[in-house]
Amino acid sequence: MGHRAGVISSADRDAENSWPSSAHEARRFILNQLPGSAPVEGISAEADRYGRAEEPAVLVEPSLIEGSSFTAIRFDSDSQRTESAFAGFLDGTQQIRIVNQLDGIPIVWATVSAAIRVRVDKRLTTWPARRPSVAGRYYVPFRYLDSLTDEFRNDRRVVDTAKANESGKIPSRHPAALMESALQRIQRDRESLELDLAESWCRSESRPLYIDGSITGSAIASDSENVVGVIKTHRRLYADGDAFRVLVRLRAGERSSVFRVDRRKGFPVASWYVRVRETAGHDSLFGLLRIEAAETHDLSSRADEISRWIAAEGAPLALPDSRWDKMAYGIRDTEEFLRAIS
Amino acid sequence: MSEALGRVVATERKPNTPHEFHFWTSLDCPVGIGTIVRVDGAHPVEGQIPHIYGVVVEGFSYTDLQSPMHDVLSHDGRPSNATFAATDRAEIRLYTAAVLRQIPEEPLQPVPMGEVFLAEEADVATALRMDGYLKDGSNTGIPVGVYRAGATDSVIYLDADFLLGPEAAHLNISGMSGLATKTSAVEWLLASLFAHFPAGKGSVAAVCFNVKGPDLCFLDQPGKLEDRDREMYEKMGVKPGPFENVTYFAPYTAKGFGLNTLRSNEALLHNVKPLTWGLREVLQYAEVLLNKDDIDAKADALIDFITERVVDRRFEQDHYLTRDHTVQSFGDLENWFRDLLRGMEKANAESWRTHHIATIRKVRNRLSNISTRCAGLVTDTGDVSDLPFGSFEDRAVYVVDVATLEEDAQDLIFARIVSKLREHLERRDLGVKHLVVFVDELNKYAPGDGQETYVRKMLLDIAERGRYLGLVLFSAQQFRSQVHRRVVGNSGTALYGRMDGDELATPGYSVLSPATRTKLATLEKGQLMVRHPHFTQPIFVRFPRPAVMQGRDGAERYPQATDVTLEHALYRSLRTVDPAVSLAWVNDLVALYDEGELLAARNAALVAKPSNVRGFFESRLRKKIPAQPAFSGGLTPRESISARSLPDDDPYGP
Repeated sequence: MGHRAGVISSADRDAENSWPSSAHEARRFILNQLPGSAPVEGISAEADRYGRAEEPAVLVEPSLIEGSSFTAIRFDSDSQRTESAFAGFLDGTQQIRIVNQLDGIPIVWATVSAAIRVRVDKRLTTWPARRPSVAGRYYVPFRYLDSLTDEFRNDRRVVDTAKANESGKIPSRHPAALMESALQRIQRDRESLELDLAESWCRSESRPLYIDGSITGSAIASDSENVVGVIKTHRRLYADGDAFRVLVRLRAGERSSVFRVDRRKGFPVASWYVRVRETAGHDSLFGLLRIEAAETHDLSSRADEISRWIAAEGAPLALPDSRWDKMAYGIRDTEEFLRAIS
Repeated sequence: MSEALGRVVATERKPNTPHEFHFWTSLDCPVGIGTIVRVDGAHPVEGQIPHIYGVVVEGFSYTDLQSPMHDVLSHDGRPSNATFAATDRAEIRLYTAAVLRQIPEEPLQPVPMGEVFLAEEADVATALRMDGYLKDGSNTGIPVGVYRAGATDSVIYLDADFLLGPEAAHLNISGMSGLATKTSAVEWLLASLFAHFPAGKGSVAAVCFNVKGPDLCFLDQPGKLEDRDREMYEKMGVKPGPFENVTYFAPYTAKGFGLNTLRSNEALLHNVKPLTWGLREVLQYAEVLLNKDDIDAKADALIDFITERVVDRRFEQDHYLTRDHTVQSFGDLENWFRDLLRGMEKANAESWRTHHIATIRKVRNRLSNISTRCAGLVTDTGDVSDLPFGSFEDRAVYVVDVATLEEDAQDLIFARIVSKLREHLERRDLGVKHLVVFVDELNKYAPGDGQETYVRKMLLDIAERGRYLGLVLFSAQQFRSQVHRRVVGNSGTALYGRMDGDELATPGYSVLSPATRTKLATLEKGQLMVRHPHFTQPIFVRFPRPAVMQGRDGAERYPQATDVTLEHALYRSLRTVDPAVSLAWVNDLVALYDEGELLAARNAALVAKPSNVRGFFESRLRKKIPAQPAFSGGLTPRESISARSLPDDDPYGP
């Protein structure tokens, strides 16, 4: 038993040997690539620091697929405890550093990683079928740096952060705009690693997987009964109007009606809110999770069952993580694991 | 190669050093305090991959909890709720190991990161530097026990050169009483020593002082062994049997009829010999029995005079002595004193040959008292029955039973026997080249505090100089901290059984880690911690039950002989020399002679072991013509009694 730490990168091993594996190496690498650039001794910025900070906080009318009104539904039974059926936990992390700057243009080095930890005899260990994915990449606005070599530009581990987005908009030279663009790319890369792992799970496992985050980005995951996405942050609340009052009054052991999430950029899934801890003395979003799962014909009973599993993951607490009210211990373990290897 | 069981880790807060390193293992790993491990470094140093051997001295376990309160909150304050938790917290087993050896030994560097393996048999030999004395051409290993961890089952050897000299010597054993550690360990180790001591290093024998109960009284009797003990004997190449050549020595009881030993059962008397000394033997060690007030300079001078000029030589009469004296026994000495003092008193003299009459009276009083205080050991007659100094046999054990003696007699026996052994070893004429002396209860005989005693001086002398002579001290006690530091400090090898917590709290044990001390306090029977000059850290081993009858079992199977009559005492002791001696013959002699004379004759016969025991015995008695019935000539009993026949005219006749 114990931790299994075998890790391989997504890149070739040979190439990895010359590729930076730490921020310090990344800084030196750029000094060679971009003579005249200045090293930056910045602090590490983790995913949640930047997170989806730019995503607007909005209330959205829920598109109900269970019942006709958004109501609170008790899912647990005091007489019997339910054991969680989750066999694994998937999470990803990102470590971001501005390592150099040239004429005010930030050069970002980020390590994104993702892993699945499976539970065997109540202890968590790395999923043996797919080792964790770790990738270190530069995020550089090509158009604002003339002195970049072709070799560097063409390296698949260097990402251009000044490309036009879907709407044709190009980020300005403003460092904050360039930084925001880099963050979006980094986040996309991390989600890509996570969903890649999630799809591997769907193809090879028949047991449920707890994913920290949305599953709408993957057609396979959003359609699989073996994965459940758990969202802890609520910039976008599916509870406009009367539903909002119902949502903030949910008590521990209650869930909301199931609604459909079908965003333009993702695949449709069934979703509902679950309150896993009482809010007394806390804000209204304390202990509130939004669950995403594939739509099935027995939605109500499926939502109850998954909600009970989620509630069962409430012990042990994920303390000392500040998000302990919403975080499952398995996710904390996966984050700690990724922090140790990346 | 076996699978790695751990990985070396080091942090800035807890770095590795050349003498200590840390590693973690899986939760189900067979590593514990005392386990020997091997680290294989990842990077070569001067072209050689470093291998580091260590012994686990501390262990840590913790989870990712930052506060116990978090666990309380996790389970709503109910411990029983913990069983419902879906996941167990991440947990670590982190161990600290003390370095036993690094290869290469130079340059001595901090332990590098690397994989940790359970030490296999060859690793154990290397780690403990046993490879140096187990190789062909050296082969001085003496098995002390078996080290076990996981699938490893390795014999741990002591180096004979460091156990019996000349490099280092002596062995000290500490442990709580009653847990079959001290005596059992010595019995086992002596058996191992006799089995493995290299022939090229000469002969070896042991003198054991039995100071309490029947502990060492049945070394020649087989004991109970279990299969696992036999396996260990086989693995360590020692025959699982009792000692083949054991001789017991014990003084007589104060009455002098039987020997003062718990091994007095008639079935075991064949190798029990009396230990008796006369005036000359005792006078040399009078210092042992006389306290400082007794032996001031004047008294000391007179004792020296008596020893040199009076004892064992003809001392001619002078103007105080009324006759010539030949002093060979306490009895003779008493007669000499009496004659001298009477002459001085008659002449009203105050001194004789510069010795004041008060000094003479004092010395007479003290010396005469010795035969009373050490009755059974010291004879008035001067008969000597002693250990076979000069003819000690190889692989023989000589047990001197002093368990039931008064303290004075014990001290005298220690002092004289150890001195004699030393003298003979110095002259190389003891009969063996190496001699082990086993003394238990060092807390009593060599305490760290208290006044200087002769016995303590002797033990210190052995500890400090004995190894040059081949005189090796195996000592034992319950509280090592309370034994004289120079005795335990000079013991090259130390064994520890289960220890008392208070004892472990003394400064002498501060070099051990808290976990090692905890293990010492909870050792099972048959487990020892070994310190030896070749081992840089203490090692835990198991040893088999000794293959000799334990004291308690022996006392039950061979109960002590009850008080016997003079006739039976003579009969039993003389039969050990000549089985043809009959009780009727003894009875006849008892009817004729007084007790003292008969016991003196017996003592002389037991010492001389003549071929004609009865003839020798009778020759030591004063001539007496026993009453014989008159020749009856076929008359009636009444007639035969009459001195002469009655006159025919006897009016009172029939």
